Amino acid sequence: MKLFALVLLALMPLLAVAFDVDAAKTVGNAGAPVTIELYSDFQCPNCKMLHDQIIPQLLQEYVGTGKVYLVAHEFPLSMHAHSREAANYATAAAQVGKYQAVADALFRDQAAWSVTGKVWDTVATALTPAEQKKVQTLVKDPAVLAEVQKDVDMANANRIMQTPTMIVKAGNKSYPIGGTVAYSILKSFLDDRLKAK
Amino acid sequence: MTASRQSKPVRILAIVLRLALGGIFVYAAWIKLRDPWQLFAMAIDSYGILPLKYVELTAKVLPWIELALGLWLIAGKWMRIPSLGISLLLTLFFTLIVRAYIRGEEINCGCFGPGEAISWKTMLRDGSMLAGSYILTWLSFRRARPQPAALEPTPEFQYEQPRP
Repeated sequence: MKLFALVLLALMPLLAVAFDVDAAKTVGNAGAPVTIELYSDFQCPNCKMLHDQIIPQLLQEYVGTGKVYLVAHEFPLSMHAHSREAANYATAAAQVGKYQAVADALFRDQAAWSVTGKVWDTVATALTPAEQKKVQTLVKDPAVLAEVQKDVDMANANRIMQTPTMIVKAGNKSYPIGGTVAYSILKSFLDDRLKAK
Repeated sequence: MTASRQSKPVRILAIVLRLALGGIFVYAAWIKLRDPWQLFAMAIDSYGILPLKYVELTAKVLPWIELALGLWLIAGKWMRIPSLGISLLLTLFFTLIVRAYIRGEEINCGCFGPGEAISWKTMLRDGSMLAGSYILTWLSFRRARPQPAALEPTPEFQYEQPRP
């Protein structure tokens, strides 16, 4: 019994990493054969490239068809001055069902707020006045801040070294993919994983 | 000077370098061959030096070349070929890594499988391997080089042994 308790205690962090997902930051069918966990930083240029060029195709061809379940995680790098603030706002916006809209706005205006630091000005463009009020309150909520920190901790636990990083999970295997990727190679990779299921 | 006439420390150095570099190449190849080829293809593509149609071919062929060169190096036969091959490959890899680092590209090294971003540590490691491969190549060619005939003692110049 004591041994069982010790094993359970040792496995707790792993269980947390495996199942702790904010539903508001997910797209697609949770029962899809392939899950992609995407760790990104709103101030990172490669993340913008992935968000603008690869993710839309992925959503259309794999997520929309129930083949892939996409989960977004925050990984604001310390080298980017405003990315933590952006991640906090996006996570707060997720609580009012506006994660995707805010993420789109942040990547769209990345060049501007990265320089000026006026993150909120960009976030506000994706929200109604009522939502803006809620998000302004939520962004100070310790639970929201803790959620962002939990994502960072998960990234570190997964030994993620760069953004963007996709962790593709198919069956009991897990494949980290760092940086931007050519869609044709990613497609070939996903098709092989789906065939193998 | 022939192989047998090399000093002991040099011979030990050659063996250590041969086994270390051979082992590293076999390990690097195994990591790539164990994973789906597309993961290595993504790493190659991120350097932006090859058209996509050649990326796939390179991703499928290069790990086998690394494996062959690594095993050849460990076997220790006809050392000029594998040591030169590994030196050329490492020169190429190191140049690409330094180029990406200088340009500030946040890309995956692809050296030992996915998930390793290029950093100064990558350059230090690959730079050390490159230096080792150059030394090994130099030793391989030096070992095989015949001694100039003028330095070999010939019968005409041998001293006559004093008779008892």
